[in-house]
Amino acid sequence: MKTPQEPRAQEERREFREEAESLFRITFAPVIWAAHFLLCYCTLAVVCAKGGDPDFWRTALVGLTLVALLAITWTGWRAWRQWDAHNTGDYANARGEDEDRHQFLGQAALLLAIISAIGVIYTALPLVLVEGCR
Amino acid sequence: MSEDDRPIPRKVSQADDLAPEGVYPPTEEMLSEPVPADLQKAQADRLRKAWVAPTGIRYVTAVNNSEVGVWYSMTAFAFMLIAGVMALIIRLQLAFPENDLISADRFNQLFTMHGSAMMFLFAVPIFEAIAILILPGFLSARDLPFPRLSAYGYWCFLIGGISVIGSVFVDAGPTAGWFMYPPLATQDEGIGSDIWLLGLSFIEVASIAAAVELIVGTLKCRPPGMRVNIMPLYAWYVLVVGGMILFAFPPLIAGDFLFELERSFDWPFFDPTRGGDPLLWQHLFWIFGHPEVYIVFLPSIAIAAMVVPTVAQRPIVGYSWIVLSAVGTGFLSFGLWVHHMFTTGLPSISLGFFSAASEAVVIPTGIQLFAFLATLMVGRVRVNLPMLWIAGGLAIFTAGGLTGVMLAMAPFDFQAHDSYFVVAHLHYTLFGGMVFPVIAGVYYFFPFARKKLLSERLGRIAFWLIFVGFNVTFLPMHWVGLLGMPRRIYTFPGGLGWDTVNLMSTIASFLIAAGFAVFAWDVIRPKTRQPQIPRNPWGGGTLEWTHDVPEELWGTRSIPYVTSRYPLWDDPKLLERLDSGRYYLPDAETVRRETMVTSVIDAKPLLIQKVTGPSWLPLLAAVFTGGAFIFPTFHVYPPAIASGAVALAIIILWLWRETSWPPEHEMRDAGLGLRLPNYAAGPNSVGWWAMWITMLGDATAFASVVFAFFYYWTSSADFPPVAMPDPDRALVGLAVVGLLLAWAATVSAAWLNARARVTAARAALIVAPVAAAGGAAALVLSVIGLSPSTHVYPAVMCALAIWVVVHAGVGIVMQLYCLAASVAGKMTPRHDADIQNVTLYWHFHLIAVLVTCAVMGLAPGVMR
Repeated sequence: MKTPQEPRAQEERREFREEAESLFRITFAPVIWAAHFLLCYCTLAVVCAKGGDPDFWRTALVGLTLVALLAITWTGWRAWRQWDAHNTGDYANARGEDEDRHQFLGQAALLLAIISAIGVIYTALPLVLVEGCR
Repeated sequence: MSEDDRPIPRKVSQADDLAPEGVYPPTEEMLSEPVPADLQKAQADRLRKAWVAPTGIRYVTAVNNSEVGVWYSMTAFAFMLIAGVMALIIRLQLAFPENDLISADRFNQLFTMHGSAMMFLFAVPIFEAIAILILPGFLSARDLPFPRLSAYGYWCFLIGGISVIGSVFVDAGPTAGWFMYPPLATQDEGIGSDIWLLGLSFIEVASIAAAVELIVGTLKCRPPGMRVNIMPLYAWYVLVVGGMILFAFPPLIAGDFLFELERSFDWPFFDPTRGGDPLLWQHLFWIFGHPEVYIVFLPSIAIAAMVVPTVAQRPIVGYSWIVLSAVGTGFLSFGLWVHHMFTTGLPSISLGFFSAASEAVVIPTGIQLFAFLATLMVGRVRVNLPMLWIAGGLAIFTAGGLTGVMLAMAPFDFQAHDSYFVVAHLHYTLFGGMVFPVIAGVYYFFPFARKKLLSERLGRIAFWLIFVGFNVTFLPMHWVGLLGMPRRIYTFPGGLGWDTVNLMSTIASFLIAAGFAVFAWDVIRPKTRQPQIPRNPWGGGTLEWTHDVPEELWGTRSIPYVTSRYPLWDDPKLLERLDSGRYYLPDAETVRRETMVTSVIDAKPLLIQKVTGPSWLPLLAAVFTGGAFIFPTFHVYPPAIASGAVALAIIILWLWRETSWPPEHEMRDAGLGLRLPNYAAGPNSVGWWAMWITMLGDATAFASVVFAFFYYWTSSADFPPVAMPDPDRALVGLAVVGLLLAWAATVSAAWLNARARVTAARAALIVAPVAAAGGAAALVLSVIGLSPSTHVYPAVMCALAIWVVVHAGVGIVMQLYCLAASVAGKMTPRHDADIQNVTLYWHFHLIAVLVTCAVMGLAPGVMR
């Protein structure tokens, strides 16, 4: 375990204060999954019902998938930094300190980013595998 | 600019100068300072007096979570037993081929009511019941923030539940299956479908009330220091499930709204001959229905998350992973609904999305089970009775989960759809994921709730009866389903290879029933001769085991300062300090009920919240709300409207008398050197959060109605129909102006009031309802020329108008309430919680108005 703790104590205390944090932030990645899911489903439902080229839209949605994955990766990366277990060596964050809460929310957001990325990839499989509107 | 010549008076609302004062967090020195014995006794006496339960006939006026939670649980359990007896009759009818024990119609009523009652009267309410009962214990809160709301929800549930389940006993039950598919359900003769729709809508409203109560309780009533990273996992699950209820139930309520308009007034939302679409109901129902499976599963597995660490005598392994599971499952479960509709002819690619999400949800669901197993592996396990039930439940649930993975594959589902394979699958998931863990919870928390222990011996007998009975009943159903036996048939011809299997299922179902009889007896048998139980019989580490034995109704003697996930294990001095009143709010100086409100993330103390006590009002409000829902079942509307008006009057009286009056003292001593405000408005107050959460659910329901409009556009080539008249555009425009003005006047009133311009604020509160009434009237006039029973297009326009007009009506009542509050001195510039909550309502309403008017005024032109 590295020991970067000493010099940053005071200034980072401020970063860990409650107002800088929101429970909603851990839901960013799942919200991206939900938006991606709905856009895929609704676009192809409308295209199949009202006419349009499903293959064009499938390709477009694969592009959207890449954007969604990028956004989730960015969320996950930020969460990874926030968790900071690599530096602190604390993987459980079970104590009642500002810092623990801060890192815990980072870990939760990271895990949710991973599961959301898996969800987005799963959703994209039919885009690649299923043709047309039958 | 100097202080004097500023053009606007300074904002005087309380956030500026009323903040907590003193020391926080408490030091070890402060915590170890003893409390004199006579002071302890005096404090305890005052607390006891404040929390005394009403006796005699007035017992029904109790609102305390410990009473309401027990009533709620027992009522849900009773409904479950009744629905279980219905299942036994179903099984008897299916014991032999060509059996004629009961008629086909009776059979239809029984299976419809069995499913409906198990889902709506047992599975969801028992979550609310148990959470109301035990959540304050986990949080060392004296009570939940809105005890009367819990009581109101309970009475709504009882009245609605009796009216729904009672219909079977008078041979008038619904017969279309628990998901009420049109056209079967819309065209069903008799009142069965109406009873289902109205009775269950009524109960759904109670569910949303409970969700509001539980979410606000979890976010705002945690003990000081219980940050989000150390709150009990049960609280995380409650938070997630509460959120899911807000997004899952409203689509069903919207669906019920449209469905009942079709049943009562022949507005053809689901009738394809007039532009409607029966599949819309399936979408709305399953957007509710699939998350609902997780709404019943997650809180039950949350019980396992509390039992497992106790059994392993160590902290849970992978706390964050379980939070991930709960939140992740909460989200993914909304992407599964179409897997109930794989055989409706949707394009394969659409099925593919839902199939993929159905497979993905397995991951978070599995993670929590592995976290439990890991905890057991590394702990020193002492298997107790609750753990036996959890273990049985996990085994059964895993089997149900595996068949779920099979059914999530569309090609397999095409084969097994509507067969007994599905019946077996859903019973495996619900018994394993819900029934067994809930029974484990009853054994585990019984000492907490009733200060008695259940019998170890009877518990084991019940377990083996139910476990063996369950598997022998339902395992063969997979097989008979694959042999082709469809679900819901009332009898079957012999010689198809189904005979023995069905007989076996029937016999074994009585084993399950015997098990439940043993369990029920254990719960209700008199236990007066049982010696006093130990305070922490299982050796748990969370705060509910600081409860008082023998029972005290105050919830907790003092509200502890918490610094770890398992305070009882980590802080050996906690119990003694808590009992001696060393922590927060050890006293009730005014002999009133109070609890502490803390901040959302870090649980820093914010204020002392007054908690309401026993009252007839919730009960009476529920009775009249019931009238408003139950009279329309019989198509009698004037008494329904009168009943609804009385209910509204009672609710206003209840709010007026008990909420948001300026306190006698702005600040009070909360103990441990901390002084806290006694009044809060805006985001610091629990009422504001309740409004926010309620309106989020309301917005979801509204979005579902708007979704219906766009759904008709996709499902029909001619929508909006070219030849149909549209709502009058000029009047729709006028409605926007009126309602926008009403919103602006409300916002101005709040702004002016907070700056001590009381007269101007009152003037704005007179302008606001007038403008709102004008806007609503214009909206009514804009659709008055349409004939909604001719086609779904005018019908959906009228439905949207009804939605907005009713909400505007509620908004007007709120504005007048604030006006009256201002005049009566209930609302002052400093104490402005009422107007802040009403402003929040109007923000949401404004969005609904703008969307509705865009759909009514602009969309037809754009989409044709």
